[in-house]
Amino acid sequence: MQLKDNKYIGIGFRKDFSEELLDSTVLKPAFIELAPENWIGMGGYWKKQLDKAAEKFPISCHGLSLSIGSPDELDLDFLYKIKKFIKQYKVQIYSEHLSYAKCDNAHLYDLLPIPFRKDAVKHIIARIKQVQDVLEMPLAIENVSYYTPVAAEMDEATFISEIVNGSGCNLLLDVNNVYVNSFNHKYNAKEFIKKLPLDKVAYIHMAGHEQISDTVIIDTHGEAVIDQVFDLFEYATGLLKPVPVLLERDFNIPELEELQGEITRMETIVSKTWKKEHAIA
Amino acid sequence: MLLLKEETHEQQSKLAEYCKTGIVPELDGIIEENLHHYRRLVFNIGIDTIETAYPITYRFLPDEIWDKLVYEFYAEHKCQTPQVWRMPLEFYEYCVEKDIQGKLNIPFLNDLLYFEWLELEMHTMEDIPYPSYDTKGDLLKNLLAINPEHKLVKFTYPVHVLAATELEGKEGNYFLLMYREKESGRIQFMDVSILYAYILEQIQNGLTLHAVLTDADSLFQINNFEMLKEHALVFINDLKQRQFILGFLNK
Repeated sequence: MQLKDNKYIGIGFRKDFSEELLDSTVLKPAFIELAPENWIGMGGYWKKQLDKAAEKFPISCHGLSLSIGSPDELDLDFLYKIKKFIKQYKVQIYSEHLSYAKCDNAHLYDLLPIPFRKDAVKHIIARIKQVQDVLEMPLAIENVSYYTPVAAEMDEATFISEIVNGSGCNLLLDVNNVYVNSFNHKYNAKEFIKKLPLDKVAYIHMAGHEQISDTVIIDTHGEAVIDQVFDLFEYATGLLKPVPVLLERDFNIPELEELQGEITRMETIVSKTWKKEHAIA
Repeated sequence: MLLLKEETHEQQSKLAEYCKTGIVPELDGIIEENLHHYRRLVFNIGIDTIETAYPITYRFLPDEIWDKLVYEFYAEHKCQTPQVWRMPLEFYEYCVEKDIQGKLNIPFLNDLLYFEWLELEMHTMEDIPYPSYDTKGDLLKNLLAINPEHKLVKFTYPVHVLAATELEGKEGNYFLLMYREKESGRIQFMDVSILYAYILEQIQNGLTLHAVLTDADSLFQINNFEMLKEHALVFINDLKQRQFILGFLNK
């Protein structure tokens, strides 16, 4: 993705604050990200807003319903709609979740954990390759937060690495998800990151979360990013080449100044960890 | 599909089914005390989406009936659309198919749900190309160009006019014209009589207003063309002012 002036930080384009963002002199993301599911086939007022946004910002897409880890067949009709959308809006990064949201012909509209198993790895590698063949571009796959493993026979880092390496896809490193999982499943977040195929990281997500008990954090995207996640971000970016970074804020939208504050803080971090002049390829 | 073992598929199916029904399955290697978060998160997305799409029905139905209906929908129905904002249409279709209005003895429920869905659909539906038209012409003799982003709908209950609590016993023939304003994207609603609904439908079918009125004069047994023309022109001019009638179709 070509970004200007060494600005790397984008923001999720949400209908809740789309009008404010488009007119804002406060919030200045380098790009915006949107879920194609929320915009494909939409006309009227929202289509106009989307078109205005596309004139102002580069767009990345982060899918919700492709369900890459589903036992079901891929929804090719939908995939071709995504392809058309990606072309129409000149989207250069398309990412999806390493999870499943559809099973036995029923959409669930949330991200369920895939069993960390060898057969699932093979199954998903084949599906990612199929997606990339149709889209004619690499898919970036996101490490998701999860609250319980299911029938696992390997650890999460191995599961992710084998899929990324086997499929040739890119990795979307969600730093908040690493933090959430390290808390919920009691592992060392930095050690986890080091085990991932970091040369394949093409995109980073940052977000807030909510701790609901002594043992559980839920990945809500409804709170400010906490200091520990900023620290982990600094650690991770120190290991990576420069890539676009996305601030996700889906609920409890604060004043735009607050969102810009988080963006500025991330810009400050990467200005240290990514010192050289780069054009993000 | 062949690469995935049956036992892995089965574990995934059990978790998905649990999210739909809330009936706790036997799953291998899980943190049992955390499993409920998935049911809660999945179900909340479904409930929020449906309640946002059907605010009138949600407020009208007693909580226990609404909760049971949404629960049964989520448990029994397999949502087909990958776009969650289109899912409420499946909820409406489910209610019709299962004859929920008959079971609850609320004869206007289907109309109410459909009305609420239509408002959402009109707001979000894909843009339809406008016809080529002139602004000058003869309202009676020229073919009229109308806003293509509209729906003319017949209801058995006046769900677009009266509050849900006032609908009982109001069975009849009611017509609603809905259209989306080109610039603002706002949805406009207009209650129309059966005569005007007929006129609009025939204009849409490509007849001139004069031809439509000639037919309507005998069809509705008015037998007073001049009076009909006078009233119809007031109606049509009103629609022109509202920019529902755009002008005159280019040949």
